[in-house]
Amino acid sequence: MDCTSCNSTPTRPDRPHTFFAHEQAACPSCAAPLEARVVLRDGHVVQLIRCTACGPQERVVSHDADAWVRSFLDRGVVPEGLVGDHLFKHTTSTCPRCLALVAAQVVIRKDRVFFLKDCARCGPSEALVSEDAGYYVKAYSFARAGTEPLIFRNTAEHGCPTDCGTCDDHEQHTCLPIVEVTDHCNLECPICIVDNQYSKHMEPATFAKIVDGLVEAEGSCESLAISGGEPTSHPEIVELLKIANRPEIGRVVLITNGIRLGKDRELAQTIKDMGVYVGLQLDGFTADVHTKIRGKDLVKEKTAALAMLAELDIPTQLIFVATKGVNDHQIGQVVELFLSGSHFLSLNFQPVAYTGHGGGTFDHDPNDRLTIPGVIKRIDEQTGGKVNYTDFFPLPCSHPQCVSLTYLLRLDDGTSVPFARFVDFEKHATLLRSSATLPATPEVEDALADVIHEVFARQDEIERGPEILAALRRSLDEMFPKRPLSSRDAFRVSERQSKSIFLHHYMDRHDFDLERLRKCCHHYPQIDGRIMPACGFNMFHRGAAKGPDTPRAKFGRAPFSLPVIT
Amino acid sequence: MLCDGRVALVTGGSRGLGRAICVMLAREGAFVAFNYAKSDADADTTLAAITAAGGRGSAHKVSVLDKPGLTALAKSLDAAHGKIDILVNNAGFGQVVPLALMEESDWDDMLDTHVKGAFLTTQAVLRIMVRQRYGRIVNVGSLAGVKMMQAPVHYATAKAALKGFTESLAKEIGRYGITVNCVAPGILDEGVSDHLPPARKEEYLRHCALRRVGRLEEAATMIAFIASERASYTNGSTLVVDGGV
Repeated sequence: MDCTSCNSTPTRPDRPHTFFAHEQAACPSCAAPLEARVVLRDGHVVQLIRCTACGPQERVVSHDADAWVRSFLDRGVVPEGLVGDHLFKHTTSTCPRCLALVAAQVVIRKDRVFFLKDCARCGPSEALVSEDAGYYVKAYSFARAGTEPLIFRNTAEHGCPTDCGTCDDHEQHTCLPIVEVTDHCNLECPICIVDNQYSKHMEPATFAKIVDGLVEAEGSCESLAISGGEPTSHPEIVELLKIANRPEIGRVVLITNGIRLGKDRELAQTIKDMGVYVGLQLDGFTADVHTKIRGKDLVKEKTAALAMLAELDIPTQLIFVATKGVNDHQIGQVVELFLSGSHFLSLNFQPVAYTGHGGGTFDHDPNDRLTIPGVIKRIDEQTGGKVNYTDFFPLPCSHPQCVSLTYLLRLDDGTSVPFARFVDFEKHATLLRSSATLPATPEVEDALADVIHEVFARQDEIERGPEILAALRRSLDEMFPKRPLSSRDAFRVSERQSKSIFLHHYMDRHDFDLERLRKCCHHYPQIDGRIMPACGFNMFHRGAAKGPDTPRAKFGRAPFSLPVIT
Repeated sequence: MLCDGRVALVTGGSRGLGRAICVMLAREGAFVAFNYAKSDADADTTLAAITAAGGRGSAHKVSVLDKPGLTALAKSLDAAHGKIDILVNNAGFGQVVPLALMEESDWDDMLDTHVKGAFLTTQAVLRIMVRQRYGRIVNVGSLAGVKMMQAPVHYATAKAALKGFTESLAKEIGRYGITVNCVAPGILDEGVSDHLPPARKEEYLRHCALRRVGRLEEAATMIAFIASERASYTNGSTLVVDGGV
């Protein structure tokens, strides 16, 4: 039985509906054309409409949500023999030149998905948004209801993305908060989002206020990422880590390029002793790749950082920004590295977003770029099937077009096998409706029992079935030993039972999709209390979507700012 | 018929209550496979009785402590029939010995055959039942595992363990449409009760409302019912068949 006085962390409520998509609609009162939010609620399909003249309204579209979803997915079937584009749906994107919000047709062309846009001021444009139409369409079947923060920092007034902060129309709580603690850096990366001004390190008191606000809004967070600039440039970084290391935060992740970490043993040991995790930026293994993406040869620095992390057994996330024609041939190599070390807990591929101070001007072709399916395809090809295309599935926590992932179970011989080989991910997708990790809840325990019995029953048919059973048994023994572990130790032991590979495609001015932003769960908490969905912040509030000369949106407020900047 | 078209596996089916269960399930329409550890002749007798009851069956000489043998048996039945609907964990034996004279080997043999045997057989068959999302598991317990009575301690312990086994397993695998129940007979006219000292039988009869010991068929009838679709909502139960003690 839970102790009510000890169990004081409030529970975040579920959203009252499943956000599904945006579609073109008309105001039921004044007939003005606008974009509606389509949600599934109690078996019905409802359009939620926010008309600036008539206020919020709603309209029931269907009384059979299952049938409606099936018909929606059927729209993605291209008629046989069709020549030209097949219209799948509509959404709202941005003009790549002036950044105005514009209507976009989402079309399927030769098994790929494109946005077709026509800005009244700048004219037409096209952008590739997915290299696999089948994956793109099916991803919508992974839509699940999100959960709400305890406090919305803003109320919807003008509509998305103007009211960011988040507003009460936002469809997901903060799954991964990222706090930028400095605008100093020891690199000038050609691909970087941030326009580092070398002007300010965040005061510990300010950082503490941000964390307080985050905990107030969320109750608890599975993780908190500390970023920059380069956060190890901050002279008081250890103090910041101490502030973040509090019971409401499951894990503190220091996102770093590794330059200081590789040569500063004292800092690395402190990180280890504090139980802090490291998110190491590692985009490749050769001088030419580092030079193109990070501006200089970093082979020695990355090697040193990797050695330090391995030696101290620091739990590590690898972050690989995947860029077509630059480092996409080294995708398999980073997967192999990731699989080789037990301290590597996750690998995060980010198909590059051509946005921000550097990224906005990085040489690219918006119609020939990497998207999530393209990275998965390269993982498959370059690992010889160790991890293959069908091992991945869309993450329901975020918008399903934003993140794809797979989990890998650690077998007793040190190798790993993807969960998708023995788990029906679609069946258990709801478990990941508001998190990318599995909490110790009764429904997760229930699902685990299901998985164990499924593998037990089909062990002769499943690839490496008996080894998987043995690994599951080992996991239970390690997580529930005869002498009980502290909750912190239990957490550490449990997260080493498996690994995860994520692919997170941040958006830019070409593939921006307002529908995706509405359910963003990676947020930047700000000094003024706002908690900003990442791509909206990067696109409209940093003022650097196209590069350093992009004007900031009228409603935007810059990082490190308190007053509204007009 | 209660079990028409079903495929059953009965452990310890060559003699006594096991044979009666085999015959009853066959009479109720099931194909009955049974295992045995010792006597081929006894197994032949059971097979003949199954046939005489108008049924079909097969005999398999595999110990309930032979894990690979049980796995192979379950697989072969699944391969031949495409399913195993019913498992009756019946294998066991009786022994008259007070705790003061009980050898460690007595204890181990008793617990191994009754409890470990049920565990190993269930684990082998459960794979198939989980996959088919259906199953009826019946464990043969004893009144001695439910009530305080004069019975050997190791026997009562083993039968009480089967009651716990039943309840815990029923909770664990009910989600797959598999029921697990225990049938606990009192003293029967044959089987493990054969060699009971007369004084114990007399004491039993003094407390039994029906004033008689039970017949094998009476216990087997309950087992066939619990193994049938008719008992679809009975799960985790221990059903006593004792004439009212």
